[in-house]
Amino acid sequence: MGAALQNLDYFAFVILFCIGLHTLVARPNLLKKLLGLNIMETAVFAFIVTSGMVDGGAAPIVDGTVTGPFASPLPQALILTGIVVAVSISALALALIIEIYRQCGTIEADELKGVG
Amino acid sequence: MSAWLPLAACVPLVAGALVPAVGRRRPQLAQGCALAASGWTVLATARLTRRLFMEGPFSYAMGGWAAPWGIELRFDAWSAASLFIALIMLAVLVYSGPYARAAIEPRRLPWYYSLLLLNLGGMVGFACAGDLFNLFVFMELVSVSSYALVAVGGGRIAALAAFKYLLAGAVSSVLVLFSVGVLHALTGSLNMADVALRLAAVESRGPVVLALAGLSAGFMLKAALFPVHLWLPDAHAAAPCPVSAVLSGLVVKVGIIGLLRTNAVFAGVDGLPMAAFGQVLAWLGALAIVAGALFALFQQDIKLMLAYSTVSNIGYIVLGLGLANHAALTGAGIHVLNHAIIKATLFLAVGAIIHQTGSRTLRELRGVGRMMPWSALAVSIGALSVAGLPPTAGFLGKWYIALGAFAAGQPGFAAVLLLGALLIFAYYIRILNAFYFRAPVDDNMRSVHEAPLPMLLPVLFLAALCILGGLFGRWPVALVAPAVERLAGGG
Amino acid sequence: MKRLLAAMVVAAAAIPMFAGVAGLPAPGDAGAPAHTRVAARYVEAGVRETGAQNLVTGVLLNYRAYDTFGEVMVIFAALAAVSAVLSRGPPARRPGEARPQVETSPVVAFVIRLTAPFIAIFGVMVILKGHLAPGGGFQGGVILGALLVLLSVVTGRGLERPLLPAPAARWLQAAGPLAFAVVGLFGLACAGTLLGYPAGPGADMLRAAMMLMLELGIGIGGAAIILWLFLQMRGE
Repeated sequence: MGAALQNLDYFAFVILFCIGLHTLVARPNLLKKLLGLNIMETAVFAFIVTSGMVDGGAAPIVDGTVTGPFASPLPQALILTGIVVAVSISALALALIIEIYRQCGTIEADELKGVG
Repeated sequence: MSAWLPLAACVPLVAGALVPAVGRRRPQLAQGCALAASGWTVLATARLTRRLFMEGPFSYAMGGWAAPWGIELRFDAWSAASLFIALIMLAVLVYSGPYARAAIEPRRLPWYYSLLLLNLGGMVGFACAGDLFNLFVFMELVSVSSYALVAVGGGRIAALAAFKYLLAGAVSSVLVLFSVGVLHALTGSLNMADVALRLAAVESRGPVVLALAGLSAGFMLKAALFPVHLWLPDAHAAAPCPVSAVLSGLVVKVGIIGLLRTNAVFAGVDGLPMAAFGQVLAWLGALAIVAGALFALFQQDIKLMLAYSTVSNIGYIVLGLGLANHAALTGAGIHVLNHAIIKATLFLAVGAIIHQTGSRTLRELRGVGRMMPWSALAVSIGALSVAGLPPTAGFLGKWYIALGAFAAGQPGFAAVLLLGALLIFAYYIRILNAFYFRAPVDDNMRSVHEAPLPMLLPVLFLAALCILGGLFGRWPVALVAPAVERLAGGG
Repeated sequence: MKRLLAAMVVAAAAIPMFAGVAGLPAPGDAGAPAHTRVAARYVEAGVRETGAQNLVTGVLLNYRAYDTFGEVMVIFAALAAVSAVLSRGPPARRPGEARPQVETSPVVAFVIRLTAPFIAIFGVMVILKGHLAPGGGFQGGVILGALLVLLSVVTGRGLERPLLPAPAARWLQAAGPLAFAVVGLFGLACAGTLLGYPAGPGADMLRAAMMLMLELGIGIGGAAIILWLFLQMRGE
C-alpha cells in the first residue's frame, strides 16, 4: 500500500487518460472525440515526463550555476517529439472534420450514420 | 560502416518533402521524382537483404552513438519485409500515373505522391528500427500519411472513413507510447535489445504485463484484428485503388511487424503468462478468419469484399503467431510477405477494372472478363492465390500454419483454417463467375477496353510474383528461418 | 446500451493501468532505473559530448537526432495530409456572392503590428539560444508561425494572396528535411556516420554551426508549415 501511495502522480494520469477515453468513446460530436484524444495524449505525456523527474532536481541545463541532481533529459526530449506528433494528428483530424462538414453538413456521429 | 541502411528510409523521406516544391507546376515531374526515390529504395533494400543472407543480421549506430545511448537501426529477417514494401510501392507509383490523373484533383497530385513517399520511408524505417521510441515515431509517420491517403480522392464516405481510421489509429498510438513510457520507467533504456536484457532483472510483474498488454493491444488495433477491425473495411474501400493496395497489403502489416518486434522484448522475462497470451491470440485469429470471410461473402461491392478478405488474412497471421511453434511462426512470417503481394495484385487489378468501367459492384461488372482479359486474369491469379490453392504464393503460409496447428496438438485450428479457405474460395468463385460466365447487364460494358500499359504492367508483374512466390517458396522460408528460430526458442 | 459499452471500454483500460502503474518505481526516486541507465551518461557527459548546455537539445540533436528527423517528417506529413484533404481547384463563386468580410478591429490590428517585431525577435532568439537555455527550433518555429498567422489575419491575406508566395513557401516548408539532409550527409562525409558530428580539437565551431543549421531549418520549416496549415483550414 505504501508503494501504491508513492505513485499517486501516476494514478492521476491514469484517471486523466480514462476521462479522455470516455470522451472519445461516448461523445457523438467529432470535435469532442478529437478533444478526448488530446486529453489521452496529454495524460501519457505527463506520465512520461514525470517518470524522468527527480525529487529536488533542477532542469537539465548544465551551465555551472546549479550542481545536480538534474532531471533526466531523455523523457523531456521524447515528449517534445510526442507533442509535435500529436499536433500533426490534430491538424489532420481538424482538416477531416472541416471536409466532413463541407460534404455532409454535420459533425454529429449519430446524424452521420446514414450517410453513404 | 556502410550507410545503406539509414539511407534506405531517409532518401524517400527527403524526396517526399521536395516533391511538392518540384511538382507544384508539373505533376509529371512529381511522379518522376517519386519513381526515382522508390527505385532507390528497392535497390538499397535489395542490397541489404543480400547482405542479410550472407552475414546475418546487422546494425547501424545512427550518428555514431553506440546503443543504448544512441539510436540503433537493425536489419534482420523481419526488416527484409522492406524489400517487398519497396517493390510493391514502386509498382503502385508506376500504376498511379494514369489512375491518379483521372481520380485525383490536379492540385492534390503533388501532395499525393509526397504522401506515398513518406508512407514508404516510414514503413522502411519502421521495419528497420531497433529502438522503441524510434519505432513509435516511424509508426506515426506511416499512420499520418495513411489517414490522409484515404481521403485524398475526395467524397463524403472517404472523409468519414479517414476520420474513423484516424481515431482508431491514434488510440493505438497512444497505447504504444504509454507502454514505451512504462518500459522506459522500468529499465531506463529505449533500445530494444537493452530493454530485453534489463527487463529480465525487473522484479515487479505488474508493469511488465501492462507494457506487454498495451503494446499488443495497440498493434492489434493497427493490424485490424477481428473485434477491433471496424475501421478497416470503410477506409480500405473508400480510398483510391492504388492507396487501398498500399493500405491493405502493407500498412496493416506494420501492426504485425510491431507485434513481432515488441514480443521479442519480453522473451527473456520469467513468470509472464505467455502461454495464455498465445492462446488468446490464436483464438482471436481463428475468429477473425471466419468472421472476415463471412462478411466478405455478403458484400456486393468488390472493394469491400477485398477489404474484409484482409481482415480474414490478418486472422491467419495472428493465428500463426499465437500457436507460436516453429511451423506456425514460419507460416505467419511467409504469409505477411505473400499476402502483401497478393492483396496488392488484387486491389490494383480491380482498380484497373473500376478505372476502365466506372462501376464497382459485382452485378455491374458482369462479363468484364472478356473485355479486359489481362486485368481479369490478374484478378483470377490473385483470387486463387488468396484462397490458398497450391502452386500459388498463398498456399505456402497457410500450409505451414496448419502444420503448426497439428504440431501444437490443436487440430481444431487447422479445421478453422480449412473452413476459412473454403469460404474465401466461395466468394472469389462469385467474382470469377461474374467476370467470365455471366452476360453483361448494360450495353456500355461491350465498349470497355483493356487498361493502359502503365497500369497493366505493374498488375501483371505482381500477378507473376504471386505464382513465383509459390514456386520458389524456399526463399522466403529461408529468409524468416533464423528469426523464427529465435522466437520459437524463446517461448 | 451505448453508455454501458463506454463504461466497459474505460474499465478495460483503467483496471490494468492502475494495477500496472502501482508497481512502477516511485516518481522522483533518484535511484530508479530511469535515472541510472541512459540518462546518467547524458547528465554526466552530455555537455562535453554534445557541446550543448541544454541537455534536452543535446539529446534531440545529437544522441537522438534520427528521432528528431522523423519528427520533422511527421510535421511535413501533416502539411501534406491537410493539403491533400482540403486543397481544391479555384472556387466557382457566383458574382454578388462575396464572402462576408469580418473587419478586424483597428485596435487589434494596431497592437499586433506594433508587437510584431518584438515577437519576431523573441522567436529568433528562442531558436538561436536553444543549446544554452530552454528553447530550440520547434518552440521558436511555433512562435514565428503564430506571428505569421496573426499577421495574415490582420492584413486579410488568405490563400489567394498569401504572406509567403506559394513557390517560395513550398521550399521553406521543406527547410527542416533539407537541413537534416545537408547536415546528415556532411556528417557522413567528415565523421563517417549519417548525422554524425566531427570530433576532436577545433571541431567545436563546426559542430555548433551544424546544430544551428538544424535548429534554423526546423524553426523556419515549422513556421512556414503552421502558416500554411492555418490558411488551408480557413479556406479562401
